[in-house]
Amino acid sequence: MDTEGSNSPAETKKAKSKTPRKPKSAHVLKQKSPAEFFADNKNIAGFDNPGKSLYTTVRELVENSLDSAESISELPVVEITIEDIGKSKFNSMIGLADHERVDEELYDDFESAKAREKRLAKEARHQEIQAKNASVGKKVKGPMATKPTKSREASYYRVTCKDNGRGMPHDDIPNMFGRVLSGTKYGLKQTRGKFGLGAKMALIWSKMSTGLPIEISSSMKSQNYTSFCRLDIDIHRNIPHIHVHEKRENMDIWHGAEIQIVIEGNWTTYRSKILHYMRQMAVITPYAQFLFKFLSDTPEKNVTVRFARRTDIMPPIPVETKYHPSAVDLLLIKRLIAETSKQNLFQFLQHEFVNVGKSYAERLIGEMGPDFSPKMPVKSLTAQQIVRIHQLFRQAKFDDPSGNCLSPAGEYNLRLGIIKELHPDMVATYSGSAQVFEGHPFIVEAGVSVGGKDVKQGLNIFRFANRIPLLFEQGADVVTRTAIKRINWNNYKINQTQDKIGVFVSIVSTKIPFKGTGKEYIGDDISEIASAVKTAIQQCCAQLKSKIVKRIQAREQQERKRSLNKYIPNATGAIYDMLKDMSQSRASKKKRYEDKDVDLLNQVSAHLVTKQTLKEKLTQHVEQVDYEMALEYATQTGVKEEPREDVYIPPLEAGVNWVGLSRPSTAWCSPTSLRVVLGCIDNGFVWPTGLEAGMCDAKIWQA
Amino acid sequence: MADKRKRRRPVDDSDSESDSKLPFKSKLKPDSTILQTLKTLKDSATAAASSSATKPLTLSDLNLSTACREVTDLSLSSVQSSIESLILSFAHSILAGNGFSFSVPSRSSANQLYVPELDRIVLKDKTAVRPFANVSTVRKATITTRILQLIHQLCLKSIHVTKRDLFYTDVKLFQDQTQSDAVLDDVSCILGCTRSSLNVVAAEKGVVVGRLIFSDNGDMIDCTKMGMGGKAIPPNIDRVGDMQSDALFILLVEKDAAYMRLAEDRFYNRFPCIIVTAKGQPDVATRLFMRKMKTELKLPVIALVDSDPYGLKILSVYGCGSKNMSYDSANLTTPDIKWLGIRPSDLDKYKIPEQCRLPMTEQDIKTGKDLLEEDFVKKNPGWVEELSLMVKSKQKAEIQALSSFGFQYLTEVYLPLKLQQKDWL
Repeated sequence: MDTEGSNSPAETKKAKSKTPRKPKSAHVLKQKSPAEFFADNKNIAGFDNPGKSLYTTVRELVENSLDSAESISELPVVEITIEDIGKSKFNSMIGLADHERVDEELYDDFESAKAREKRLAKEARHQEIQAKNASVGKKVKGPMATKPTKSREASYYRVTCKDNGRGMPHDDIPNMFGRVLSGTKYGLKQTRGKFGLGAKMALIWSKMSTGLPIEISSSMKSQNYTSFCRLDIDIHRNIPHIHVHEKRENMDIWHGAEIQIVIEGNWTTYRSKILHYMRQMAVITPYAQFLFKFLSDTPEKNVTVRFARRTDIMPPIPVETKYHPSAVDLLLIKRLIAETSKQNLFQFLQHEFVNVGKSYAERLIGEMGPDFSPKMPVKSLTAQQIVRIHQLFRQAKFDDPSGNCLSPAGEYNLRLGIIKELHPDMVATYSGSAQVFEGHPFIVEAGVSVGGKDVKQGLNIFRFANRIPLLFEQGADVVTRTAIKRINWNNYKINQTQDKIGVFVSIVSTKIPFKGTGKEYIGDDISEIASAVKTAIQQCCAQLKSKIVKRIQAREQQERKRSLNKYIPNATGAIYDMLKDMSQSRASKKKRYEDKDVDLLNQVSAHLVTKQTLKEKLTQHVEQVDYEMALEYATQTGVKEEPREDVYIPPLEAGVNWVGLSRPSTAWCSPTSLRVVLGCIDNGFVWPTGLEAGMCDAKIWQA
Repeated sequence: MADKRKRRRPVDDSDSESDSKLPFKSKLKPDSTILQTLKTLKDSATAAASSSATKPLTLSDLNLSTACREVTDLSLSSVQSSIESLILSFAHSILAGNGFSFSVPSRSSANQLYVPELDRIVLKDKTAVRPFANVSTVRKATITTRILQLIHQLCLKSIHVTKRDLFYTDVKLFQDQTQSDAVLDDVSCILGCTRSSLNVVAAEKGVVVGRLIFSDNGDMIDCTKMGMGGKAIPPNIDRVGDMQSDALFILLVEKDAAYMRLAEDRFYNRFPCIIVTAKGQPDVATRLFMRKMKTELKLPVIALVDSDPYGLKILSVYGCGSKNMSYDSANLTTPDIKWLGIRPSDLDKYKIPEQCRLPMTEQDIKTGKDLLEEDFVKKNPGWVEELSLMVKSKQKAEIQALSSFGFQYLTEVYLPLKLQQKDWL
């Protein structure tokens, strides 16, 4: 058997449908282009099945758009449209005539005579039962929804994504889409995309499922034309195959990119995932505006969601940074040497790495051995010498890289997102300082909320990595594990199963250590990240705890008298009954008591002291204690908090450029009432949330 | 198997026949030898008991630096009068407009003390106030008052009720039985009497079978003639008396299943003994009964518990008392219990197959490590060694693990061999 033949029949069939198979002899050395590799292993990039492919396509396009807009400090506006294309429409698009089925039995969904008999029998039985139920007078359930016969008919969608980003240089467009593993984001920088794979994978998928090319129009800020390009990819050679590539007039001074692609997908099953993704994306990027549309022939199925911009404070653009010595490997050192513009080893060390200063570079070179000198040309290093450098990098101690190159979402944005998403009673956020994992800095931010409408009881976990939401593989993720297993919620007066808890964790890094093949989750085995996540969540909980305790106290304050009074009848009843028993047994001279007690018992038998007397006296005492406690509480908590007011900000005229929230808001409100403005700004309305100012760091306002 | 059992029953001492199926069987010596060993054990226990019986150590003898609290058995009338004086003082206080407040001895673990000289846990003298006019204590104060009233009635009528009865008299207030039970122990502490003197008993849990004759409420009970199930240990110890026995030792069993095997095989006829189980954690009645047997019959006590931290914990409750009832540890503990098995070292010694051992859970390991810090374990170096082995190997096994060699391996090989080798700690 040759290698090809050893494939299972199914696989062979699949391969056949993808690529025209040429007869090959047994032991030919074959090579695969990267495009071919990813076409064969599309699950690596999240294209497991049509539904997931639709989701991943949307996701990749949206993330590219955000990266693009952010790179030019433009508040992102992203429009994404998914259009359902019927089969006949699709056929006409590819120029294929509709074919009537001639040989019905050839098809998988053909109902054989036997199956038909079976189905009819089942339906008859069902009707019988219903008739019986109806005659007995039972509530008749609606007619059993006849399951649509499972069709293996593929559905096709046109996905369009338009943004206001940087756009692409006219000449680069073909390579940016038609060549797998080519990209602009390879530098060491916090970006959403990383591998130069997303848009190309979508193209490969479209080629595999529909065969239709991708259409790109793009314009850059200073260009007076729009580039239009229609291309597909030559999978075997990993090069773009250009159909049209031309400059067109730029009608409305627009910059950005619009990408249109037709793919096979499955909206029905991935509808909620895609909508969740959009919602969470809006949560973590409140400064972006999203318009999501789903269009189909049946209008009732259409979906249009607009995620309005709620702030115009953008996190700073992440800057490209240099490698940390402890994060490089041999290959990387070689590549850096090949690419560097520096002449000698000393300069190379000093300029191509972070945390290597002048003196430290000298010390390093000294430590490398006699073969090395600061002035030696860096390109002349031998392979052995490079290994030596690598070894030293591994062993030497370097300062941790700073988190300056990172761009976390910011507590403010996180907070806005949580309030928008959950409408919680309380929320606390925390932003950790930069930490390091394998030479890559990372920052963990967390938000914890309690309560809210439409929030389910227990833990609701929202995960973000480099400001993209992670929706799949929740169970194994470091955040989920930490929140469920390592946080003792009881410590913070939070009930893990009863309370409605929202946990938001956002991790940003120059390299997110994703587990598995897709960008789906971060493993639980990295202790640095796990402990940072734990600390962040705990910090939030600690903030919440004081609020919760205060709230419990306040409630206690209100209910003290009531709960004390509730027990008065029980207690006095028991005491009085015993007194009565005693007075009776005294009457029968069974026992002797002291004089004082005798008086009391006499009063009891003479009905001078009754249950009512005890009750009244105890009530008096309770009232007195309550008064004292209330006084004490008041002195402790100080002056009552001033009443909160709902603030209304008039809607803004369209086109008015907001400079930032900080200045206008501080001008409007006294510092103490700032908290009121901490709502989410939606269409210009501020929803007061009744949150405490103390929970929010002042630094947000200076951002 | 069936015919073998038939054969064995009547001829108990025919153990010399070798059975290749049962490992270590060949090592067994004739029963007479083992009996001889047991006699020496009994004699030494009797001697030890009689020497210490002349001078029973009490708390007051020790002059401890910290004051300790202990309760005594009180007569019904004195219980009644102490309740009455407490209630009268409350009535005065309420009428004076000052409300009322209990002063309850704390039974928290911070207030417990292990006294090595006595080999049991005692309660220190910290108390907590339980005022009525405080949100956090109002509920407990009310329940305490109510329980006092119920006990007062018991005193007047001089009857016994169970804890369950007590709970059902005011379900609405008590809400669940753990609350009324806890307050009942508090009341014992407040009044300074044992729980049995409150005339409240727990339902029967423990059972006893074997060479023991005693009177229960005037009826003579012969525990060899109680069938397989044995005699339930009476909940109020004060109606038990006239203990007689020709046993050589008392065998304490953790599990009902192992107890059944021993009872059905009439183990006590082959080696005269008394077999007791409380089916898990022992209740007060079983502990009182154990202590009574130990002090009156002066027999050595050996224990057969699971090889897990929980087994050792049960052993410690028999031995030094539970923290919950430490105020009454003087009456509830049976000192000098020997740990016969199943010990962690037995797992390898008796080649218990791998599939019968269980991995310890994280909770188990934690409990084990905590136990290692406990004084009553530390005082016995052998126990420390065994427990460390358990925590290190992270394996536990139940008594039933021995059934992998046959259901009767426990009675026919394991126990006789252990006794023969005096393999107890």
